[in-house]
Amino acid sequence: MTPFELLEPASLAEAIALLDPEDSSVRPIAGGTALMLMMKAGVFRPRRLVSLRKLASLNSGIAIGKNGALSIGAMTPLAAVERSAEVARAAPVIPRMMRRLSNIRVRNVATIGGNLAHGDPHMDLPPVLIALSAEVGVVGPDGTAERRVAIEDLVTGYFETVLAKNELVSELRIPPQGGSRAVYIKVTTGSAEDWPALGIAVALEAEGAMVKSARVVISAATERATRLKGVERLLAGTSIDEKMLARAGDAAADEAECISDVRGSAAYKRELTRVHVGRALRQALNS
Amino acid sequence: MATSITQGGQAAPGAKVGGQVGRSLPRLEARAKVTGRAEYTHTMRLAGMLHAKIFRSTVAHGRIKSIDVSAAAKVPGVYRVVTADDVRKVIPSPYYGPAFHDQPILAIDKVHYVGEPVAAVVAADPHVAEEAVQLIVANYEELPAVFDEIEAAHNKTLVHEELKPAGTFADLKHLKGRKGTNVALDFKLRRGDVDKAFAEAAHVFEHTFHTQKVLHLPLEPFASIADWNESGVTIYSATQGPSFVRTEIARLLGWPENRVRIKVPYLGGGFGAKLYIKMEALATALSMIVRRSVKVALTMEEQFYTITRHPSTFRIKTGVDATGRITARKCEVYWNGGAYADVGPRVAQKSGFTASGPYDIDNVWVDSYALYTNLPPAGALRGFGIPQLVWGYESHTDMIARALKLDPIEFRRKNLLREGRPQATGQIVREVQLEAVLDRVAERLNWGKPLPAGTGALRRGRGVAVAIKAVIAPTTSVANLTIAGDGSTTLYCGTIDMGQGSDTAMAQIVGEVLDIPAETVRIVPRDTDVTPYDMGTLGSRSLYHMGHAVRLAAEEARAKIKAMAREVGEPEGSNIPLPDLFKKKFGMQAGNIVGTGTYKPDYVPPDPATGLTDNVTPFWMCAASGAEVEVDTETGHVRIARLVTAVDCGRPVNPKIVETQISGAVLMHLGFTMFETMHIDAGQVTNASLADYKIPAMLDVPQVMENEAVDSHLASGPFGAKGVGETATFCVSPAIANAIEDACGVRLTSLPLTPEAVFRALRVQANAPLEDEE
Amino acid sequence: MTRTISFSLNGEQVSAEIKPHHNLVEVLQREFNLMGARESCGQGMCGCCTVLVNGEAVSGCLYLAAFVDGAEVKTVESLAEARTQALSPVQEAFIEAGAFQCGYCTPGFLLMTTQLLDRYPEPDEDQIRHYLSGNLCRCGAYPEIVDAVKLAARKRKNPRPA
Repeated sequence: MTPFELLEPASLAEAIALLDPEDSSVRPIAGGTALMLMMKAGVFRPRRLVSLRKLASLNSGIAIGKNGALSIGAMTPLAAVERSAEVARAAPVIPRMMRRLSNIRVRNVATIGGNLAHGDPHMDLPPVLIALSAEVGVVGPDGTAERRVAIEDLVTGYFETVLAKNELVSELRIPPQGGSRAVYIKVTTGSAEDWPALGIAVALEAEGAMVKSARVVISAATERATRLKGVERLLAGTSIDEKMLARAGDAAADEAECISDVRGSAAYKRELTRVHVGRALRQALNS
Repeated sequence: MATSITQGGQAAPGAKVGGQVGRSLPRLEARAKVTGRAEYTHTMRLAGMLHAKIFRSTVAHGRIKSIDVSAAAKVPGVYRVVTADDVRKVIPSPYYGPAFHDQPILAIDKVHYVGEPVAAVVAADPHVAEEAVQLIVANYEELPAVFDEIEAAHNKTLVHEELKPAGTFADLKHLKGRKGTNVALDFKLRRGDVDKAFAEAAHVFEHTFHTQKVLHLPLEPFASIADWNESGVTIYSATQGPSFVRTEIARLLGWPENRVRIKVPYLGGGFGAKLYIKMEALATALSMIVRRSVKVALTMEEQFYTITRHPSTFRIKTGVDATGRITARKCEVYWNGGAYADVGPRVAQKSGFTASGPYDIDNVWVDSYALYTNLPPAGALRGFGIPQLVWGYESHTDMIARALKLDPIEFRRKNLLREGRPQATGQIVREVQLEAVLDRVAERLNWGKPLPAGTGALRRGRGVAVAIKAVIAPTTSVANLTIAGDGSTTLYCGTIDMGQGSDTAMAQIVGEVLDIPAETVRIVPRDTDVTPYDMGTLGSRSLYHMGHAVRLAAEEARAKIKAMAREVGEPEGSNIPLPDLFKKKFGMQAGNIVGTGTYKPDYVPPDPATGLTDNVTPFWMCAASGAEVEVDTETGHVRIARLVTAVDCGRPVNPKIVETQISGAVLMHLGFTMFETMHIDAGQVTNASLADYKIPAMLDVPQVMENEAVDSHLASGPFGAKGVGETATFCVSPAIANAIEDACGVRLTSLPLTPEAVFRALRVQANAPLEDEE
Repeated sequence: MTRTISFSLNGEQVSAEIKPHHNLVEVLQREFNLMGARESCGQGMCGCCTVLVNGEAVSGCLYLAAFVDGAEVKTVESLAEARTQALSPVQEAFIEAGAFQCGYCTPGFLLMTTQLLDRYPEPDEDQIRHYLSGNLCRCGAYPEIVDAVKLAARKRKNPRPA
């Protein structure tokens, strides 16, 4: 790694002031696990890093609101989320997914906010949060005014987000899930602890086999985590049987924009999508 | 099993300590390893040492038009930027390699693969060196490149203009100065008349198999530190062959060997990667240029550009008679050696001896070609080519059995080489437990009972494979042993303990001969100023060759103890404690007894025309594996429900260490079988990191894994032992592929057996091939 | 851009001059001669560089040294009893189960196992495999490592009488 300036501001305003909207070599650093990878590979050579570690306002921890909404401070490590009783109660899919997210050392250090702001298409967290209709609070140079961004709108492309270079994720919010049941399937094609070749997240609100609403999200196989809205429309208001699962799988395969990489060809990932959308829905229905 | 230890480390003839060979003694260095104190080259530092970082080629084949180092040289803290021109001022002919002197320390005039070292930056701070490397600019005139081994064999695109064999090996001499070829070795074996036998055979089968490019990936990446001055050079290196490094560095410098000293701390894995000469020559050249000690320590990524396993294409054809006997087998093997030969020609030749498998076949034809291509070099990886060959011949053998509706185990049994029969080379096979390993695997798989075929999309199946290997010959090991005035024993041997437990095993052999507890034997750290010659820690040869040398050294010491006892007037059979004996002889705690042992087995080189010889190897190793798998036919995912392996390693000197060697070898090859592969695009490795090149982890270990060493005792081995490091690698790949066919009817002929490969084969089988998208 | 960091290292208060781009492993090696945490993959994938920071395992190669200012840092060198150098039950178990070969990855496995047993004193096979799934051993000693974890759990439950 090459030398850079490391600043550790104690207030949010100070931190945002130290960021530079025009300079991509100035970036905030939270846990740093993902950023360090880019720096070590030489693909990111920062001039200045602004550490968010000392910002109390991003360290609000994990809280459940009266309505059952979950709020998680941006600087909360993934491991704290994984171990949280509140999270397990409000969104049990999250700790289940966390178990195979990277490894424990990374989860101990990487933060919720950093994970989301990084815009990496292979992450396991974003598709699950999109399925749960989660959003982030974003703070920028105008101080206290916070804007809200749905996770599904956060990432715009390969390592690209809607965040300006001087904006920070402050908090993750997950709305109450009611009777919705969520499932995440991580499909690997290398070793078991590989990055996913495909991630499928599903949140299903159903009575018996009758679907009230469904959110179906694909990730890893695509440029960014994306809702499969055609599949969602197909499922809404229908009764799920094996035939419908197959139709949903076919619809997902048609809709998904898969890309080829070392983890598999686009054609193969499309077939994986076809199978695993059906499996995820079945699991959600039976859970 | 454990021996009580009460002797305090003193050889006391007569006071029986009990058998040391056969003990499951924990590794002697265990404490150093669990406290984090064990020393590895990659983390070593010398006072005042500088760090070097390497600038590498970005083209696969090209003429170097210019290298601009000016910006790099200006980076504050940079000590020196070095190119081949600087190297040639200190080492006029800077080409190295075990079989061919073809590899330049830094690229000269041309680059031959993406990732080849072109320049190096030396600085006190490694970060500074790294930063400066990024500022070097090289311009190349790109030349046509060849990546595929079959294309390379057509010699249309040439990697090197002229071949430069090292002269070390007699069978390479005829290649000296040869032009217009990529063939670095063509080994031939001709036994009987295959054409006639094919014509007369009831059935003839022909298939082609491929293996992919994978790498050793030791967790300690390559590292060497050289400290040169006019009187000599000391090199600290993560090497499996300090004696070879010494010879080669001495040759490069034009010095006698005694001015070159190689010291080797613990190795963080080797698997064949750290054989022969790797970073040592560059470190030495840099140290000569900057006149300081210089460390070259690679990153994980750089390992992908240093040494790999050979990809291969294996065309195999077999004739079978009406009774199910194999009458003829023709093998054509093409080894993709990459841009520099390394030990590839040896891989091509030595594995060629057994390319036709562990079967008794009257008519055998083998052509084995080592080929240059514009890829990162390939060398030996845990098996010296045998796993690639077994992949082909045991998949092929299974396909024949299925086609003939014969039980795959019965078909193999019927054709196995038996004791006293000639192997393809002509050497009579003795003391190899082929039937036993196959039988044990069959038993553990309950082969006699049908396996439930599975339900729904999940289909179950099982498969086996069996293989043989000739140990590399001829090679030499030397060991010295000293007993001090207090009776304590020190062993000097050049075998590198890279995790295989050789130090412990050698101590057990010393203990067995001198009747002392193995844990009291001190093994001196590897240092060519102190430890005598050893050919190298490779090819499962050490326990046999060095084991014998150590045994001989200990026996000589034992004889000298007896002689000393006689000399000082002790009665025959006296069990006088050693300290007393030394005191009697020297008047005080003084003096030494020194034993030495040299071992080199006989060998008759194969006839160049026929490849035949009646003594190609001092012993045979063999193994069998069996797998039970469950295939998800909707996705192609394969779950390995059971993986069993039985090996013949002679008598286990340390059963616990043997067990871990077997399971470790199986798991390493599980990676090569199921998912490991270097993705290469126009010569560029696109997944050169552990993020994108995955190796097996805890969750990849099969649910049930059973390993065993079958009862065996090699009469010519040290206390009955053979070697064990490689054997369990042989059969994993074909056993799993055979199980996959049993489960769902598809046959894969290329490694790795990824879910996508299985899925695509299933779609072909269903007459609906998966079509690729734009 | 040199700065001074102060932290507790294996129970001792220490400080070091570092630069922002230095990672924790290189500082432990260069400034404190602690070689047990070692960089291998450089990407947090292999676990050879495992270090405990404030009681949590981290990949030292991906951790800026600047961030341990004021923290409590522990390395494999802290596992043995400081005065007597008696091995911890986990270290003993790894030796007895033969749970390593070359030893390069071993410090990481030892620290992770210690963490695992602190959190789950009697882990089942599934917990062991998941907890240690982010540590790589190219020698493939995984089966023996699982044995060692189970043995260590027993040793910690029933410590030998002093």
